[in-house]
Amino acid sequence: MKKFLLYGGLVLLLVPVQTTLLPHVAIWDIKPDLGLVVAALIGVLAGELEGLLVGLAIGWILNLYSAGDLWLNLVTTGGAGLFAGLLAKQVAEITPTILFGGLLVLSLAGGLVAVLSMTHATVDVSWWMMQFVVIPQACFDAVVGAGLLWLYERRLASPRFGMLDRYS
Amino acid sequence: MWMVNVRSSHGARRLALGMFALLLAALLLFPGQSQGLLEYFDGPVGQLVRLPLEAVSSIDQGISAMWQQYVSLQHVADENRLLRQEMDWLRGENNQLREAAAATQRLTSLLQFKEQALPAMVAAQVIGRDSSNRYKSVVLNKGESDGIQKDMGVITPAGVVGRVVKTTGATSVVLLLTDPNNAIAGLIQRTRDEGIVEGIPQGRAKLKYIPMLSAVKEGDRVVTSGLVGGFPRGLAIGTITTIDREEGALFQTAELVPEVDLNRVEEVLVIQATHGQSEETGVKPDPGAKVQP
Repeated sequence: MKKFLLYGGLVLLLVPVQTTLLPHVAIWDIKPDLGLVVAALIGVLAGELEGLLVGLAIGWILNLYSAGDLWLNLVTTGGAGLFAGLLAKQVAEITPTILFGGLLVLSLAGGLVAVLSMTHATVDVSWWMMQFVVIPQACFDAVVGAGLLWLYERRLASPRFGMLDRYS
Repeated sequence: MWMVNVRSSHGARRLALGMFALLLAALLLFPGQSQGLLEYFDGPVGQLVRLPLEAVSSIDQGISAMWQQYVSLQHVADENRLLRQEMDWLRGENNQLREAAAATQRLTSLLQFKEQALPAMVAAQVIGRDSSNRYKSVVLNKGESDGIQKDMGVITPAGVVGRVVKTTGATSVVLLLTDPNNAIAGLIQRTRDEGIVEGIPQGRAKLKYIPMLSAVKEGDRVVTSGLVGGFPRGLAIGTITTIDREEGALFQTAELVPEVDLNRVEEVLVIQATHGQSEETGVKPDPGAKVQP
């Protein structure tokens, strides 16, 4: 119940942060996708099942405030939570650097799916989207995710999320 | 530390992968039904999310207003705001007058000129931007409960802003004119040539399908043609900056700068029904009360 309330509050808080506050800190009109970052972090810290479920909830609710398709948000955000959880089990310890690389790959993959799903977009538009939206956003997501993990580590005074921490 | 210590078993992994596979299958095989099922809950969830969204939005607007009014030269900011509002209204009025003059010239020979009824409009505030970077859209603080529906046109006194693409009970999402997925029927005010206005990724728009024989030139203004629903005739869309005439092409294409600064838009008007639509759908606009705040 405690977890449910925590995740519920987190999802509700994400909407105003993503739609109202983040546009103020956008660089070149690009803001990080906090939904994807949070889903991936939960996948890493709490496991793939929770990552998937929270990612799906975030994807669904953020989609209410986006012109995009519902399926795309569900698949990319839910998938980020799931695959972050699965990938986290393949490394001995999760450091901000490792998370940076993982988030970069996940965000690029999600962006690529989104661009490829734009049926009316010409090649020029798709290429422009990759260059000026998908790649910068992936870098932004990776930096924000790594920063959040670093802060989380410092807050808990825990050096690293090693295998023993996660599986004990 | 509970989040760190939770260990997913193989069963949880299989369950997660199974759920994801099932979701993908449902979305691919039954896209309409599966998304429709989730959209059924959009209304109640939208009402729930409205509270934190409006709270944060009002704080954000309060801070912005305080900054503009008190920190950055109070009197200048006030005067500037009033002048900008007045300029927007004058632009709109000027545009309507140009349109009226052009129409009068063309239609002097017609005796029975049917006057276009003013559409009913709802005023709304912009409370957010698209949650992703892939679409250019804004979130309004009015939704289905205020009579806003999909495909309604959205304007400011200066011109066209975009079109409503999604609604919940309390909010709606407006796809901006500059989004590549948006298309609005446009008309070059001087030459009367029609075309389709589409957004381009760089934050501007282009008018496609202009006839090759058209004498369009830079600086020409583009207005709504009123042929497709959502917008009445004669609302300003933008001004042509460059024209692309390719040899062998069937049509010309012109790039235009939108009349409205879409990065700074704060208040908008949603057109509930134009004259033609109100007759078709039975929605009766109230000419006496054009704007419902």
